[in-house]
Amino acid sequence: MKLKRGKLLIDPPASASSDIAFILIIFFLVCAAVQPETGLAQVLPQTEEKNEQNEQSKNIEVTITPTSIVLNGSPLQLSTFTQRIAAALKLKTREADRIVVVKSAPDTPYPLWIGVSQAIEQAGGILTLELESERVITVE
Amino acid sequence: MKLQRRKLTASVPTFAMGDIGFLLLIFFVILARAQDDSHIQWQPAKLKDVEMVAAPLASVAIDTGFKTYLDGKEISPDELAAALTTLLGDAPAGQRNVFLKVHKEAKASHFEPVIAAISEAGGDLFHILVPEEPLRKP
Repeated sequence: MKLKRGKLLIDPPASASSDIAFILIIFFLVCAAVQPETGLAQVLPQTEEKNEQNEQSKNIEVTITPTSIVLNGSPLQLSTFTQRIAAALKLKTREADRIVVVKSAPDTPYPLWIGVSQAIEQAGGILTLELESERVITVE
Repeated sequence: MKLQRRKLTASVPTFAMGDIGFLLLIFFVILARAQDDSHIQWQPAKLKDVEMVAAPLASVAIDTGFKTYLDGKEISPDELAAALTTLLGDAPAGQRNVFLKVHKEAKASHFEPVIAAISEAGGDLFHILVPEEPLRKP
């Protein structure tokens, strides 16, 4: 004949449950706070307004459209652009000569734009945005 | 003959300290979430050679609906420069980090005015991106 062993029920002390919850929250907060973010730093000169009639720029000019990247008038793909911009900036030693003026078509997608700006910065260029401003002129 | 009054001592029950701490923490978590932008719907663009970025003073986001947010609150790009200037205050250069989270389908007409506003406020701009996945070998 088998003798059944009596089961012992052991309850954890309920008074400690709030402390356990407290420690768990601290743990999850710390986990959430240290989640690292990755990205790209970008140095931009301060915004300033410039009249269109000003003297012609001698800086490198890049125009971005959804389908192409135009470097000083030549349409290129991103891989070719990276090589050309590096070659163009290689000989420029003065900071003022390394300014690259970027003009984007309004429908330029962000991934293309960020790829171009990364190529310019990696080549040692100083990225400057040329934005079009809208002005309402009332003709009487 | 003087009758001495019995001193009554009132003590806080230490048993409840854990619960008090728990409630305080919930309170501060809810407060902290007021500056959070995790509710904004956006997908980061992918790029090669991204780097780890330091903690920001402000976070600007452009969501899937191409609306602009500053620290989780919707703002128009025209008001962004002034709001950022106030937020960044007198922080020295190098510590004026501003995160820019742009939805990958956004166009230049959406993100360029925002970049101009960050530049105008003198913020140190960080585009938040994810690294491109390495190509899988067949």
